[in-house]
Amino acid sequence: MRVTTKKSLRDLRRSRAQVIAVTITIMLGVMLYVATAGAFQNLTASYQHTYDRLNFATYVGTGGTADDVASAAAAAGAADAIPRAQYDPPMLIDNTKLVGRVIGMPVDGQPAVNSVDVVDGGYFDADATDQALIETHAADTFGIGPGDTVKVYGGDGWHEVTIVGVAISAEYLWPARNRQSVLGDPHAFAVLFLPSDTVAQWFGPDNQALVMMPDQLTTSSTNDVTQAMTDAGATDIQTWEEQPSHATLNEDLKGFDQMSKAFPALFLLAAAIASYVMLARRILMERPVIATLMAAGARRGRILRMYLLQGLVVGTLGGFLGVVIGALASGAVTTAYTGGLGIPDTVIKNYPWMIVVGLAFGVLVGAMGAFFPALSASRTKPAEAMHTAAPTRAPGPWSRLVARMRWLPVATRMALRDVGRSPRRTLATMLGAILSLVLVLASVGMMTSIVQAIQIQYTDIELQDATVVIEDGVDAASTVGSVDGVAAVERTTMGRVTAQANGHSYVTTLRGFESNTAMHQFKMTDGALTSLPPSGVLAGAPIATLLNVEAGDTITLSTESGTSEVTIAGFVDEPLGTFLYATNDVASSAVDETGLSSYDLAFRDGVDRDAMRQHISQLDGVVGYQDARAVVTSLQQYLGLFWAFIGVMIILGGALALAVMYVTLAVNIVERTGELATLRASGVPVRKVAGTITIENVIATALGIPFGVALGTLAAAWFLSTFSSDLFTFHLMWSWWVPWVAAAGVLIASALSRIPAARAVRKVDVATVVRERAT
Amino acid sequence: MTASTDRSIRLAGVTKTFGEGDAAVHALKGVDLEIASGELVVVLGPSGSGKTTMCNIIGGIETATAGTVQIAGEDISDRKPATLSAFRRDHVGFIFQFFNLIPTLTARENIEIILALTGKGSSARVEDLLSAVGLADRADNFPAQLSGGQQQRVAVARALATDPDILLADEPTGALDLPTGRQILALLQELNAEGRTVVIVTHNSSVAQIANRVVTVVDGTIQSAAVNEAPIAAADVTW
Repeated sequence: MRVTTKKSLRDLRRSRAQVIAVTITIMLGVMLYVATAGAFQNLTASYQHTYDRLNFATYVGTGGTADDVASAAAAAGAADAIPRAQYDPPMLIDNTKLVGRVIGMPVDGQPAVNSVDVVDGGYFDADATDQALIETHAADTFGIGPGDTVKVYGGDGWHEVTIVGVAISAEYLWPARNRQSVLGDPHAFAVLFLPSDTVAQWFGPDNQALVMMPDQLTTSSTNDVTQAMTDAGATDIQTWEEQPSHATLNEDLKGFDQMSKAFPALFLLAAAIASYVMLARRILMERPVIATLMAAGARRGRILRMYLLQGLVVGTLGGFLGVVIGALASGAVTTAYTGGLGIPDTVIKNYPWMIVVGLAFGVLVGAMGAFFPALSASRTKPAEAMHTAAPTRAPGPWSRLVARMRWLPVATRMALRDVGRSPRRTLATMLGAILSLVLVLASVGMMTSIVQAIQIQYTDIELQDATVVIEDGVDAASTVGSVDGVAAVERTTMGRVTAQANGHSYVTTLRGFESNTAMHQFKMTDGALTSLPPSGVLAGAPIATLLNVEAGDTITLSTESGTSEVTIAGFVDEPLGTFLYATNDVASSAVDETGLSSYDLAFRDGVDRDAMRQHISQLDGVVGYQDARAVVTSLQQYLGLFWAFIGVMIILGGALALAVMYVTLAVNIVERTGELATLRASGVPVRKVAGTITIENVIATALGIPFGVALGTLAAAWFLSTFSSDLFTFHLMWSWWVPWVAAAGVLIASALSRIPAARAVRKVDVATVVRERAT
Repeated sequence: MTASTDRSIRLAGVTKTFGEGDAAVHALKGVDLEIASGELVVVLGPSGSGKTTMCNIIGGIETATAGTVQIAGEDISDRKPATLSAFRRDHVGFIFQFFNLIPTLTARENIEIILALTGKGSSARVEDLLSAVGLADRADNFPAQLSGGQQQRVAVARALATDPDILLADEPTGALDLPTGRQILALLQELNAEGRTVVIVTHNSSVAQIANRVVTVVDGTIQSAAVNEAPIAAADVTW
């Protein structure tokens, strides 16, 4: 081994504590990258494996004649295209009435597109008419399986079907009714697969065309096939990426993708800074040695490489550990995620390129941190070998200013001046605080914003406690209005429409309310409250972009029974879903007649919600019931892993702050060993000496806080914007105290540096320092 | 400071060994030494003789490997670091060759910081100390704005901040020229005249002329401890 390499390794060993802190920071950054990016790749592969296996439709066309649309797609080059029937009738499952979904399936075998995975029981008998497969989420929610019976309401009344199997469907990996209702009461939605002839007999003809392209998961939404479908009469074509289940799950995946880039970057930046501070300090201390080497004729390149090597060793070590732990964590995260959400296929792979990138990150960070100090070392003038100590610099304006602040305790004055004494160290501490705040505020901001969004949706906007679906002709006021505990009943209207304008279309739900409704509050995008327009509609804010329209524009609403035109009166800002709202009169003239009516209910305070569900569901004429508050349960499941991830991020944010501050603190102590030894020799207690260093650390941290809060706020807003779509509209919302608490947390972490500071000060060998300075 | 305070120093069979096994260095090999209250003793010896180690053991910043160390009437041989710190605070003041002033603090603040952190004395005392070392007019100067002699005088004032019984000066003139060195030695003589025990560690035999007693240390042992019958004034010292 070369002597220069030996020196580098021994130098690292002498700075063990700082090397460990920097290595851990690099390791955390690389580990986060490999774990989250790996989980993202694995989850994407897991979904794709399921989609491949179950022939997930590339396009679903609605409108026109399904058979014609499917034939046109097949003729235009689709790999497979089939017509299918899908209806949303009332159901009675385990004494719960709900509006579910039935999907027609051939009895002679699985369909060529959107097949299902029967995980319990079996597929239909060849001559089945009253058999059903139940989608796995509903089976779990209601605790039913093969052999049980359920009732569906179709055509002439209730029909009983027997469950023969429990099935997983790629369309319902996340059980979303549509893009406007991706989060719903789990007891208010169930999917049954029925023989297609039975669906035709009870509900109606095929109304969807399922199309699978040769390159199944194509991202193209316009091509010959979609054009042929449109020409054949399809009014809306939903791509696989827009499919509600996939789109919802993809929001989570997008989160992984964003975090796999942004959060590791924070750690690696912090690690580079810590590495820089550590090496810069070493080189400062070794200037006479370096100058001696230079005086002896050492080449600059050799000096540069000698110190660069130290950064590379630390970077490689951190990178290697990060890759190993990250690869293991990636598999664990993937398994936890697919297990938690019931994704049937779990694909766990090691991605060689990711390992290479992870290692490269580590090496690069180490090299970046070491480069400038090493360059500075290589430029040391040989004459500096003659200096035994750095000459004392004259005090600058800052020092002179602080000297006049006699009203401050002298220890504070010293700390204030020390902040300016080593700008590099102060900047590093500030950056540690800034990066920690960015990490913590971005995580907390997402969490509080989502929680507040739910709060707003279900306390400020959706004011009803439940929605019931009642057969037409039944007197709602006497049926549900007289139930003890019901405070108010209002008729509502609900129907699926395809909104079209400027060559764009968007399938959504048109909801109608009484003009002076007390069940829904309409908040405009400018924050003002409004009421329903007498004519025209209010639209969810994303529609402005989706259809390229603005207030006052006219849009076309298409249903199976025809089209109508309405004017957009304004846009509402709602966190969940993108709906159209109108008065009942306007809405009922635009949506299809179903023979059913819906009503929103408001309960008196303190009612037992489960008892209300049980009671109202049993009433004659009631065919569906949805508890508005039960959505929160569903949401918690959706966000469960997200919370865990954010919790880990907050912990890591604290670790990041501590790691960077520890390195700068250690460097501070090493640079000031003589001063500290003098204070100790004068009988100053360890805790007091540590206190003076801590004050400096806290001041430097405090200087970083305004920047950290500002950047953390921007980062949180940016992260939220990546989650926003027509499914969710999130704005950054947090209580006024959140930034203060985050800042206080970082300051406390900084103040905690007193503990390692005291330990380090205790380790300062006063006698050795004094002896080394004696001749 | 009261005249009756015990400011004596007693070392009995003190040894100090650094390292272990073949690498062991025996810095002190059974040193016996008594310094009476109010004495001014110069410990003389070449580099590596063990004189600084002896000074450090007396000051309680280093512990003896064996033997008994009694300072100002207290046996500090087996004390833990925290109680040694308290001992130093109450009894000992250090003066170093390179002053060890905190460069970011003014002369006044270099003294004030000790008072603040040890909790001994009030800031009003700072002015008295600066006046005592003749630097009242340079109180607000930073070390970089002071000469070497002035810096060492600040260091002396700092050492006096806790009103110690014993002053330990390790090569106090080592970084100073002759006139400045004389001023510092004169200051130490004055402090000794006030009743403090002063121990000056140096390799400069000329400094020994101001002592009451000269202890010569060679290779970790006391070679001689001679009384100086006619100490001279610091102003007359030459080297």
